[in-house]
Parts: sequence; C-alpha cells; structure tokens
Amino acid sequence: MEAAAHAASQTDAEPRTYLNHETSLWEWLTTKDHKKIGIMYLISLAVVFLVAGLLAMAVRLELMSPDFSIMSASQYNQTFTMHGIMMVFLFIVPSIPAILGNFVLPLQIGAKDVAFPRLNLASWYVYIAGGALTVTALLVGELSTGWTFYTPYSSQQGTAVIFMTGAIFVSGFASIFTGLNFIVTIHKMRAPGMTWNRLPLFVWGLYATSIVQVLATPVVGITMLLLILEQTLQIGIFDPALGGDPILFQHFFWFYSHPAVYIMILPAFGILSELIATFSRQRIFGYRAIALSSVAIAMLGFLVWGHHMFVSGQSAISSIVFSLITYLIGIPSGIKIFNWIATMYKGSVWLQTPMLYALSFLFLFTIGGLTGIMVGVLGVDVHLHDTYFVVGHFHYVMMGGSVIALLGGMHYWWPKITGRMYNETLGKIAAGLVFVGFNVTFFTQLVLGSQGMPRRYYEYVDRFAELHMISTIGSFILASGLFLVLGYALHSLFYGKKAPQNPWAAATLEWTNVAAIPDPHNFTSTPLVTRGPYDFHKADEVFGGSGDGQARGDGAGSDASRLAPPEAAPSAPKEDASA
Amino acid sequence: MAHATDDHAAHGHHIIPIPTLLKVFGALVALTAITVGLSAFDFGMFEIPVALGLASAKATLVVMIFMALKYDNPVNMLTFSVGVLFVAVFLIFTLLDTAFRGDMDNVDRLTIEERERLNEQLQESDVDAEDLQVAPSDMQ
Amino acid sequence: MSTETAPATTESVETEHDHHPPHLQHHFVSSEQQFDSAKLGMWLFLITEILLFSALFVAYAVYRNWNPMAFAEASSTLDWVLGSVNTIVLLTSSLTVALSIHFIQKNDKQKTVISLLSTLVLAGGFLVIKYFEYMAKFEHGIYPGEAFAPTGSGYEYLAAIPYVPQFFSIYFVMTGIHGVHVVIGMGLIGWMAWRAHRGDFSDEWYTPVELTGLYWHIVDIIWIFLFPLLYLV
Repeated sequence: MEAAAHAASQTDAEPRTYLNHETSLWEWLTTKDHKKIGIMYLISLAVVFLVAGLLAMAVRLELMSPDFSIMSASQYNQTFTMHGIMMVFLFIVPSIPAILGNFVLPLQIGAKDVAFPRLNLASWYVYIAGGALTVTALLVGELSTGWTFYTPYSSQQGTAVIFMTGAIFVSGFASIFTGLNFIVTIHKMRAPGMTWNRLPLFVWGLYATSIVQVLATPVVGITMLLLILEQTLQIGIFDPALGGDPILFQHFFWFYSHPAVYIMILPAFGILSELIATFSRQRIFGYRAIALSSVAIAMLGFLVWGHHMFVSGQSAISSIVFSLITYLIGIPSGIKIFNWIATMYKGSVWLQTPMLYALSFLFLFTIGGLTGIMVGVLGVDVHLHDTYFVVGHFHYVMMGGSVIALLGGMHYWWPKITGRMYNETLGKIAAGLVFVGFNVTFFTQLVLGSQGMPRRYYEYVDRFAELHMISTIGSFILASGLFLVLGYALHSLFYGKKAPQNPWAAATLEWTNVAAIPDPHNFTSTPLVTRGPYDFHKADEVFGGSGDGQARGDGAGSDASRLAPPEAAPSAPKEDASA
Repeated sequence: MAHATDDHAAHGHHIIPIPTLLKVFGALVALTAITVGLSAFDFGMFEIPVALGLASAKATLVVMIFMALKYDNPVNMLTFSVGVLFVAVFLIFTLLDTAFRGDMDNVDRLTIEERERLNEQLQESDVDAEDLQVAPSDMQ
Repeated sequence: MSTETAPATTESVETEHDHHPPHLQHHFVSSEQQFDSAKLGMWLFLITEILLFSALFVAYAVYRNWNPMAFAEASSTLDWVLGSVNTIVLLTSSLTVALSIHFIQKNDKQKTVISLLSTLVLAGGFLVIKYFEYMAKFEHGIYPGEAFAPTGSGYEYLAAIPYVPQFFSIYFVMTGIHGVHVVIGMGLIGWMAWRAHRGDFSDEWYTPVELTGLYWHIVDIIWIFLFPLLYLV
C-alpha cells in the first residue's frame, strides 16, 4: 500500500491541494487546471442564474394578478426575453458540463487534466466575452424577441438584436470548445483499465452531450450570423418582405435549439445515475442500457426539431414525420427512468440531500417527459401550442430536470470541490422547499395552459387570476429554497465541517483515489482500474467490509463514518513500457 | 523505462509517397474538367445528382489521401462520417418541409392580404355581400 | 467505438518533467497520446466547420428547389472560367500542403518550407482572382441584399426576375465566409512556414503542420462543392 503510505506522509504538514496552490488572482485567471476553471465557471454561472432568476421573479410578480402591475408591457417583453436567453444560452447549456463536467470528468477517468487545458481556459474567456456582449445588448436598446428570435420580428428590431445574436454566436464557441475537449479527453485520457464499460455514467452522459454540442452549435452560430446579415444588409433569406422564408429561420434555429435541450438534460441523466447508484448502495441496473440510451437520445434528438413548428405552416408530411420520431425519444428516456427505479429496488436507499434531489428529478422529469409526448401529438399541439402548457412542460424538463440534477450534483460533489460539508438539515429543508415550490409554480401553469392561457402575454382575463396567483406564490417558495441553498453553501465555505475523503462511501475514482481536497495534479499515482464504477455488490471481496450492516446506508442515519468506504484502486505500474 | 514508447511514436505514421499524391492530384484535375465539360449538357433532373456526385468523388479523394484518413485511426473516420451524416439529416429534413410546403389541401391557399382584397371586391360588387359570408368557402 | 489505441494516462507526480521530449505536455504520457488527441480534436473541429457551412448549403438547396430558373439565370452571369481556374488553384494548393507534410515526415526542412510557401502563394492567387470577380459584380450593381440593383448590359434583365437577389445573397455569403477561411488559413500556413524555417519541427514532431494541412484541405473541399453549385447551375 504504497499509495496509502504516501498519503499518510503528506498529512503531517498542510497537504498541497489545488486550492492552496497558486492562489493569486493572476494565477487563477491564467490557470490551466480543470478544477479551477470549473470553479471560475461556477462563479460566473451562479451570477447569471441569480440575475435570470430575479428576472423570472419579476415576470411572476407582474402576472400575480390582473390588476397589479410593476412594469410596462414593453419592459415585460424585455424581462421574459432576457430571462429566457440568459437561462438557456448562458446558464443551462453550459451549466453541468462547464462546472461539474470540468471538475469531475478528469477525476472520474483517472486523468491529470482534460486533453486541451489551454482550450479549456479559452472557453471560459469566450463565455465571458459572450456575457459582455449580452450586457451590451441590454444597454444599447430594447430586446423583446423572446429567446427564439423568430423572424421577421427579430430582423426588423434595433441594434440590440445584433449584439444579442452576436453574444450567442460567441458563447457558442465556448460550448464547442468544451464539447470537443471532453470527447478527446474521454477517448484518449482514460487511466489504464478504465474501459468503456467501466466509465462512470456521468462520463457517458457528458460524452453524449459533447457530441450534440459539437454537431449542433455551429448551426446556431451561422444562423445568428445570417440573422445579423438579414438586419444589416437585408439579404432576404429569412424576411418574407424581401422574398425570404421565415419558416426556414425556424428550421435553422431549432436544428440547434432542439438538440440543445439534450445538451441540457443528458449530463443531468449522468448525475442521476451517480446519485441513484451511490445512495442506493447498489450496482446500477442496466449499465449498458443507460449508457447507450444517452447516445441514442443524442442522435435521435437531431431528428425531431420540427415538432416546435407544427403550427408554423411547415408541410404536413414533415409534421407527421417529426411527430412520429418525437414519440421514439420516449423509449430511451423511459429506459433510463425504469433502470434508475430498478436500481433503488432492494437497495439501501440513504436519503441524504443529493438523493432527495435525485428523487425529485425522477418525479419532475417524468412529468416533463410525459407532457412532452403530449405536445408532440399533432392534434393536441394545435390546441396547446404557445400556451402555458408548453411553458410548464419545458420548465419541468429544464428546471425540474436539468437544474434539479445540477443542484443534486453540486451537493454531492460539494465536499470534493470545497473540502467542506454543508449543513445536512438545512439541505433537506431546502430540497423540500424547492420541490414543493417548483410543483406549485409550474403544475399550475400546465393547468393554465390547458385552459387556454397563452404564453408571453402581459395581461390576461380574470378567470385565470387565481391560478396565476398560486403560481406566483409557488415561485416565492421556490426562490426561498434556492436562496437557502445559496446561504448555507456560502456558510459552509467558512464554517462547514471538514469533509472526509469519501463522505458518501462512493465507489468512483474521484472519491476513492483523490484526497479530500484534490491535489493540483489530481492523483498522487495513476490508478489502475480493476472494477466497475458501481460495484457495491463486491463489498465483501473488494471493499473489505463484512458485507452486511457495515456497508449499508439505511439505519445508518446521517453518520457517514459507519459506512465502509470502497477501497482505493491500486496504482498503475510505473514502468509500463508495453502500453 | 517509462518513455520507451516515445522513440518510435513518430515512425508509426504513414508517409504517403509523392507519386500517389501526384496521381490523386491528376484525378482531381480530371474530375474538375469533367464537371465543367458536363455542365454544357442538360441532364434535366439528374443535373444536381451528377454535379454533386462528381464533387463528392473529389472530396472523397482529398479526405482519404490528402488528409490521410485512409491510413488514420478509425475513430477519426467515425468522427468525420458522423459529421457528414448530420449534414445529410439537416438537408433532408428541411427539404421535407420546403419541397412539400402547402401539401395540406384543407387549408386556405390564399394569404390573408389576398383574402382581404377578395373580400373587399365582393363587398364592392354586391351590396348584400355581407349577408352572404357565412363560411370561409363563401368568400371565394 | 473503442477502436483506438489503448488509453494511456498520467504518471506519478514525482517523475514528471523527467526525460520528456520538449514538445510533450505534462498531462500526457506519451507523444503518441498527445498526437492522437490533437488529431482527434482537429477532426472534431473540422466537422464543426462542415456543419457551419451546411446551413448555407441548406439555404441554397431550399431556394434553388423553389426557383430553379432564377438560379440558372443568375448563375449564368458568374464567370465559370475564373471559377474553374480558382478550383485548380485551390486543388494545387492542397497538393503542396500535402507535400509539405510528406517532406517534414522525411525531415527535409527546406522542401517543407518551400511547399508551405507555394501554398501561401496559391492561396493568395485564389483571393486575387476572387477579388476581381467581386469587383466585376459590384461594377454592375450586383450586391448582396438591399443594395442589389443590376445595371449594364448582360445584367439589367436580372432586375425583373424574382429571387435572383436571393441567389446573389447566398453567393456572397458563402464565398465571403469561405474567403474568410482562406485568409485564416493563409495566416496559419505562413506561421507554419516561419516555424518550420526556424526549425521547430522534425519527423519526431510536426503536429501543428499536420493540423494546419487538415484545415486547409477542408477549405478546399468546401470550394469543391461551392464551385459546381454556384457557377455551373
């Protein structure tokens, strides 16, 4: 046990960690360490989430009652537009890959860093440049196109649209850089013995996400460029007044933006697999099915974009084809849900905060997915299109799916990232508030939409008043939950308990083979992977536990020390000339 | 020794002989000449397939030999194929709409403006026209 | 999927920076791993380029499908001779860049530099021809978008044909973005020539030359498709 001895000798002095190594501002801004870049993304994205979330609160306040108003109609249009753009392009699309992917991916596959560390840093700067352009767009004029920029309205707007589409063009590069980096990293940087069938499922999720990022993002880039040219030169591709076709713009836009939905949800699926397996202390059910269904969703996701355009006037034949393929997406998504539930069956479910978020996800994403099938039905969509039903549906998927999984993942990896434990009790309360608040806010909107409340409206008739009031109250509960998370997260940074190396007794490399706070170079010695990422059933032989009692989560309460953490993987032989 | 592999790393790469490169270049020029020559004839509906077929042949030569994909790691070939596949998906699914636009025959083929103009004409021609407009089909 | 070479990875912290060839970055184990990674990364970047242009090809296909006659008329005013010459110029530049890689693999520094410089000259020639083509169109009021106002014999009749402006919009946008790629490529090739001259590369390590070559071939391939679609309708 050379590695253990080595680790022990380091604990005598203050151990070198990535957080106390090269700490000046300049060293942070020029770092090529994937962990630090992940944290830089975390801070920037948290700011965006806060601002975009406050905009959402403003929208909900405005709609609280038909008699009550806090802003003018044009301000309202700008508010929901900025909420949508910031949440989609600047928050959810980069969120999980850029924060958790950056931090966790190399640790999980046993690599020292991502394949292209400089490109990784560049992606953060490009993202910041995109953010700067967004702020410029806000300052130079009104932006009221909605996040979808449909022509001809958008091509006849002022300069704000030019800056905003420019921002999306630029921040698209950040997304491409991240995706490209991850694909190469997963292909080429795995530790010895880390075969494709031993990859943690979060890595599989990121892999599928990266494929979509690389294939789809260039198209939104050129679409935004064409929109800018439409505005400045009137090239007549999209504007019907000049002979262009506005529906073509929708094709271009959704060729990216529908797969972008999978950019948002696929890494969330990955986090879910980690959480469900670890907190059920059970080998994941149907590993290959989960891994490959991610790739299947990534591919199928490119064939369904037209279901956003059923009432746009596109040809009936394409509506029918798009609708049929949309149903197909339900299959791999359903496979995942069933596998996660099967994983929990007869497992020792340990209800810590991350697991609460995982369970919320199962509930919320199922609603989001099923309502998605409903609006994918041609006849039903004609009724529900552009109503609050659609708003409710995609919030169930994006917030109830992606953001909830991000919250679960942040809680799960928080000890590894910061070296501190958050307050478990407050964590559970916050998870409850978020779950209740979310459902009150958005289930109401599903009902509103089915009754005919159109989306993006500033005013509405009195019969919707009660449901809108309930939705607004729900949004306050949701916000209080999220602010509670922010509060105890900041508190834990300074006053939190010091985290052990493996507080959840998880079996993946970032917990078993990396110090409590990772070393700047991640591993003290390259791990040699000899088992799967969730082989909890091998507890007796591999982890050295007695097999019953010791390694079980239930009944153990919140006392993590009673769990027998899985044993670290052995070091790879240093002189490996044959490899 | 940990870095024994470094020494022969560079020698694993395929060096494409100059005659091969020149032959490929000759084929590319010939294909260009054929493309230009054939454009003088009218192939009707086969014009685009012929032009695209020749261009694809040229592109394949460049990708396989000049870019050495033929001798390369298969994962690079897979990457490139997936890219091309999704260009095809983009093209086919968009054309599925634009080539069949307006294929539903129970919808009104006239634009709203044309409909309004017809409506005005009807009103001018007949004083009682308003009473006649019961269903959309009456407005023709 | 797992067809590539067995993945290797980092080694222990203690031995880093020992015995490394100068080009090997610390987070890679071997030159082979670093080279494979760079190349896969480049191919991924190239498919983003292809998909970037794909939207323009889709726009072209849609409008040509709707207005075949307008496209035929508009296309007939483009100079197919200059287009063909430019195709040959770009094909030749692809050959020279392929030769540069051949020579660096044989450690022939001088011939590498000469090949790269010829590529640079050919790329410049392409842009010069393109410049004259653009100027000939601008003289007759053929601009992208709103400014489109054809004048002079051989062009005036275009004003009466609907959807001719769409053809020229697509023509200028496609060739314009392609031209930007040529300019970027020239910058890269010039830089490679300078570095090769300085002696940065050898048969042991020439990854940047190879990646630049791949990029340049993609620029060529896009033109291979643009040429018949725009000039020979």
